[in-house]
Amino acid sequence: MLKSKTFVKKTRSGGVMKIVREHYLRDDIWCGSEVCVECKDETPVLQKDACIESNLCTFPHYLIPDTNVVIQQIDILEDPLIRNVIILQTVLQEVRHRSAPIYKRIKDAIHDKEKHFYTFTNEHHRETFIEREQGESANDRNDRAIRVAAKWYSEHLSKAPDAGDLKVVLLTNDRDNKEKAEKSGLIVYKCEEYVKSLIANPELVDRLALTSDEQNEITGSRVVFPEHLPLSKIQAGIKSGTFLQGTFHANRDNYLEAKVYVHGEGDESTEVLVQGLLNLNRAVHQDVVAVELLPRENWVAPSSVVLIDDAQNDEDAEEEEAEKKVRKALDSKPAQGSTLKPTGRVVGIIKRNWRPFCGMLLQSHIKESTRHLFTPADRRIPRIRIETRQASTLEGQRIMVAIDGWPKNSRYPNGHFVKSLGSAGDKETETEVLLLEHDVPHLPFSQAVLSFLPKMPWSITEEDLKVRADLRHLTVCSVDPPGCTDIDDALHCRELENGNLEVGVHIADVSHFIRPGNALDQEAASRGTTVYLCGKRIDMVPELLSSNLCSLRSNVERLAFSCIWEMNQNAEIISTRFTKSVINSKASLTYAEAQMRIDDTSMNDDITKSLRGLNKLAKILKGRRIEKGALTLSSPEVRFHIDSETHDPIDLQTKELMETNSMVEEFMLLANISVAQKIYEEFSECALLRKHPAPPPSNYDILIKAASSKGLVIYIDSAKALADSLNDAQVEGFPYFNTLLRILATRCMMQAVYFCSGMDSDFQHYGLASPIYTHFTSPIRRYSDIIVHRLLAVAINADSTYPDLMDKHKQAALCNNLNYRHKMAQYAQRASVALHTQLFFKNRGILNEEGFILFVRKNAIIVLIPKFGLEGTVFFENKDKPSPRLSFDEEGPTLTVEDHPFHMFDKVKVTISLDSSNIQHQKIRMALSEPVIPGVSVSMPETEPEAKKPKLDR
Amino acid sequence: MAGVELLSDQGYRLDGRKASELRKVQARMGVFAQADGSAYIEQGNTKALAVVYGPHEVRGSRSRTMHDRAVINCQYSMATFSTAERKRRPHGDRKSSEMSLHLKQTFEAAVLTQLYPRSQIDIYVKILQSDGGNYSACVNAATLALVDAGIPMRDYVCACTAGFVEDTPLADLCHAEESGGGTTLALALLPRSRHIALVQMDARLHQDHLDMLMEAAAEACRGLSKVLDGVVRQHLQEVSVLTRD
Amino acid sequence: MAADMRLPTAGEQISSSSLSLLDGKHLVVPGDVITSDTGFMRGHGTYMDEEKLTASVAGEVERVNKLICVRPLKTRFNGEVGDVVVGRITEVQQKRWKVETNSRLDSVLLLSSVNLPGGELRRRSAEDELSMRDYLQEGDLISAEVQSVFADGALSLHTRSLKYGKLGQGVLVLVSPSLVKRQKTHFHNLPCGASIILGSNGYIWLYPTPGQQDEEAGGYYTSMEPVPLSDREVISRLRNCLLVLAAHKILLYDTSVLYCFESSLSHQIKDILKPEVMDEIVMKTRQRLMEQEG
Repeated sequence: MLKSKTFVKKTRSGGVMKIVREHYLRDDIWCGSEVCVECKDETPVLQKDACIESNLCTFPHYLIPDTNVVIQQIDILEDPLIRNVIILQTVLQEVRHRSAPIYKRIKDAIHDKEKHFYTFTNEHHRETFIEREQGESANDRNDRAIRVAAKWYSEHLSKAPDAGDLKVVLLTNDRDNKEKAEKSGLIVYKCEEYVKSLIANPELVDRLALTSDEQNEITGSRVVFPEHLPLSKIQAGIKSGTFLQGTFHANRDNYLEAKVYVHGEGDESTEVLVQGLLNLNRAVHQDVVAVELLPRENWVAPSSVVLIDDAQNDEDAEEEEAEKKVRKALDSKPAQGSTLKPTGRVVGIIKRNWRPFCGMLLQSHIKESTRHLFTPADRRIPRIRIETRQASTLEGQRIMVAIDGWPKNSRYPNGHFVKSLGSAGDKETETEVLLLEHDVPHLPFSQAVLSFLPKMPWSITEEDLKVRADLRHLTVCSVDPPGCTDIDDALHCRELENGNLEVGVHIADVSHFIRPGNALDQEAASRGTTVYLCGKRIDMVPELLSSNLCSLRSNVERLAFSCIWEMNQNAEIISTRFTKSVINSKASLTYAEAQMRIDDTSMNDDITKSLRGLNKLAKILKGRRIEKGALTLSSPEVRFHIDSETHDPIDLQTKELMETNSMVEEFMLLANISVAQKIYEEFSECALLRKHPAPPPSNYDILIKAASSKGLVIYIDSAKALADSLNDAQVEGFPYFNTLLRILATRCMMQAVYFCSGMDSDFQHYGLASPIYTHFTSPIRRYSDIIVHRLLAVAINADSTYPDLMDKHKQAALCNNLNYRHKMAQYAQRASVALHTQLFFKNRGILNEEGFILFVRKNAIIVLIPKFGLEGTVFFENKDKPSPRLSFDEEGPTLTVEDHPFHMFDKVKVTISLDSSNIQHQKIRMALSEPVIPGVSVSMPETEPEAKKPKLDR
Repeated sequence: MAGVELLSDQGYRLDGRKASELRKVQARMGVFAQADGSAYIEQGNTKALAVVYGPHEVRGSRSRTMHDRAVINCQYSMATFSTAERKRRPHGDRKSSEMSLHLKQTFEAAVLTQLYPRSQIDIYVKILQSDGGNYSACVNAATLALVDAGIPMRDYVCACTAGFVEDTPLADLCHAEESGGGTTLALALLPRSRHIALVQMDARLHQDHLDMLMEAAAEACRGLSKVLDGVVRQHLQEVSVLTRD
Repeated sequence: MAADMRLPTAGEQISSSSLSLLDGKHLVVPGDVITSDTGFMRGHGTYMDEEKLTASVAGEVERVNKLICVRPLKTRFNGEVGDVVVGRITEVQQKRWKVETNSRLDSVLLLSSVNLPGGELRRRSAEDELSMRDYLQEGDLISAEVQSVFADGALSLHTRSLKYGKLGQGVLVLVSPSLVKRQKTHFHNLPCGASIILGSNGYIWLYPTPGQQDEEAGGYYTSMEPVPLSDREVISRLRNCLLVLAAHKILLYDTSVLYCFESSLSHQIKDILKPEVMDEIVMKTRQRLMEQEG
């Protein structure tokens, strides 16, 4: 092997340093082609007959895309039609540098055997490595490297005896690069040219990303954004403090407003407000941007206006109108020092975070036009201009679109069509959309994953019994909601001879089946959680495990991980024991059934006795927990009754809580806390725990204000004080008030998160008032629990450890993923409920319901309908109607509409209907019906829906 | 932006080597006339110079004298120009003292010190250019210098580093790889007997990976020992030819 | 200012023809197994590793009957009784001086092993002990002979001859001890006008030839007379010649030094150490030595 040496010198800013690095150039890097005899590659990737039918290239050929082609046209490259592509290392490195998601996608494509993508390590190859020349920019050097490699390939392949017509084709969109390549005798095409020449697949053309060349044609729009600053200037600015770097968060309710979260030192982070189209300057939700603060006199307060970009087409007239509206809203309010927030403008984009977006096509008014606007489902994403010839077929369908770029003279970003998901409004399509939008992995489990499942028929072996405690004789039972098939916990309680009680919590032993590191484990880790949608469950582990082998069903032997306490009659723990076990559940009960057994004094069998014992202890435990300051919060939860045939929602009811719910919950909490203590004791560096930080006092402002409007005081000094004052907050003749207050309190809370004990110092769980907490009890549906199981198993010497388990950085990365998945699962769940609510109301016509005002905004009120657990906005401004007189008082907060003041918690009546005028965003429309304000409220609907009502009142 | 990719999917490292490949090693013995033994080694861009004085009467504090064997005295230093950023103190800082101690321990395991009671052997090493694997370059240079000085040893001591990236052990790390995070293990081996003279690792690594990493480091040491062996034999022949009469 | 700069040339590769000269030699490196036959005796430079005789140094294997040694290329001085050495006083102790002689341990010069002024038969008194520093103090150079070898390998020296004693004006050249050829005498008055003491320990002393043997000085008198320029030039030339010979690993003895001196006469003293001049001088010297031998 030849090793020759050249030196790459680099200077880094901030004190010039000369860095000398070695670079070994090799002669054992193969070309990867089947035809080549010279290279000793054992498994060539590139096929001999590399045929893609094309007008331009009638011969077999390999494609070499340059960096920009890969980044812009990744959708094309991912198409199964495109095969035999040589990805140069230069290209791969540049892609990696510029876009992480695309890098991942191209890597996936490379790994796909069917695609025959080959990575040629040209930078390490003796004949294709080139040195940067004097005065040559890095980009030019890379372009040249690509040309040199392409040239090498064409010469190399021509030497092969049976290469035939095999050639390499360079794809580049850079004019300069193309000319130079042509000069050196390469076959080179622009990506568009090439794709358009493909005979078999015209639809690929739609997927072409719009490139800068074409943007010239789409000018004429009057909006001209300020130029983005180059990265070097941004970095200099960030260093000197004139610019701030942060994540861009578009406002869901107002498309002309956004916040930039600036990550400060440590945990501190500040928010910078950005208002107005020009100040937003083409930033898209989730981008990492650089902002410049405006001078203090230009600072504004966040507007509470709800503003939706409803403009029907490119016309910008309406924009200005809307903008005026905002300005008006802003001007109307005298600048109050206290509410002013730091305000800034976006000066540059540090990193785009674009992903393919779901949404719908908004057809152009001009019939033959191929340019259309696309409206994403996520309101925080601007509309995207795409080019397609299939507009008529795509109408009414949910489609996916990717953004390609946002030129400074275009009102909207340019993008291209990726794929169609199905027709809008269709439940399956909509569910698909919400899964995609919330990044929930929902594809069926791959064969690789399934291959790690235990072989059926499965039974407990002798070896299992040897290492496990045999608890089959115990009267164990499970209590779950009705229809639950993934039972991951079961309980038992029995009296010991010394008068104490033995309580056991038995958790499905999922970690027995999912071994660390295999495909099944990786898939579960990536999914992180099972997602429960209305009428649909997206499993974290394959069904064989979730509903059968792991599920602790009654009267079958199952493997479990048991946590067994000895307690005295006062529920004080005397000893705790953890063991892997074999159990045989005697009964699977629902909450209601269990409750019935406890209440029915005539029943005195073992199961019932066990339940009564548990119930008694649970009450003591709960009392003690509340004493310590655990919060009881509330959120409106509804359940849909789903038609078994059509899977449409036919009814909805709010969740009912029974004593048994809290009984099970109490023991799960106890188990979790016990396990958390144990694993933290054993692994102080890498225990996976869950914390719930105390919210900053300012979070409670809204709650305190709201309570004080009813003359009540809420204390927030500690969780205990909060819990007590919530308990005391009652208003005569308004029983629902307390619940409303708790709903508000819930919204003040922080998110509970998983974390690795070695990476954090604050372990407190505020809501549960526990100094330490983790998740142990639901390994079938949460991956965190699987990790905790493994840790605990190691701690009790029941299982061996593995490297990643003890690596706190990998743990922390895992926690981040789990937190993200959990958050997304919650959002998806909510979205699913919203979707089903819409479907529900679709069949109901217009209803008139009683509700309470939850929040007051500047031009709207947000109303909660307790009956449906539904929250909606009542707007007081309408485009087609003259606006009523509105005056908003920050302090109340109150909104006065035509002399009628609206306060928080006011009882109102609203009509509910489904607004299908915009098929993209079907929404529940609420309108005020009581109190009656002329010109604002709507009349009572006809009594027609009443006929259906009895069904609801059940 | 992601950090540097230390090992590409195709199995190449930053500088074009494969996971188990060493850097280019060049060495010379007997570079100074005045010392009893001296050697210079280049492992890639890491360059080290070693000189050996002794065995001789114990100088300085008499109390260190051992009545059954020789004392080994090591001093490690780095030239001020050896790193990208100029070093303020060439020696005497905590790191250097630690390195000196490690070198001492390494060679006490290899040199037949019991042959020289009440004597002292001085080993001075200096890093002229640092690009990762300073310890191993020092050990290798010092080995050559000891051979040059005619001081009896059980075997060569060969040292090499190995790192662990994406479940693959990398041999002979360069500076970029050492500072790119991850675990670095330095191993000094008596290659023929496979005895370990010193092993050092100051980051966390799971037990399961240790064997793999040790094996990679040992393999790298054996590779290095072949190179050193070649250097010594070449030197031996050259000198023998000159003194043939 | 013009400076004469030279870059080191790559060490010449030994040709295969010269390699053939090594055929008879058994070269080993540390860790090499010399023999696994147990019938041999372990000598210097070897150790037993699991019943195998293993080399501990790099060098040539020497076999004397059953005894196997490895002679390293380069080593410290291993003194034997009768060797003439040149050394430097490092320490004055009770009744003894410590002398640095390039050995593994400092050599000892006992007060009883020196000739004190006043004749050989003088008793050593307590006063002598106190005035040891008057005779020899730290830093002084002496020539001496090995009287005996202690168990730990340290040498005991004596200067009981008028040849030995303190050295006065002259130049010390350090070479590897293995380069000094053992001869009947190591003191030479070279015909070129200077004298040389070829210490077996590799310390070589060059000094102007004394006018007459100064009997009474007893070796402790050093003349402070200025040395004439011509003598100094000769000594300088000799010093460079010694370095040339040492660099090319040519054994040092009166003839080789003299031949080398004569070969160098065509060059200026300062040019002698230039590599190309060195090569030329060495070639000439070798040739003459071979002629002489042949």
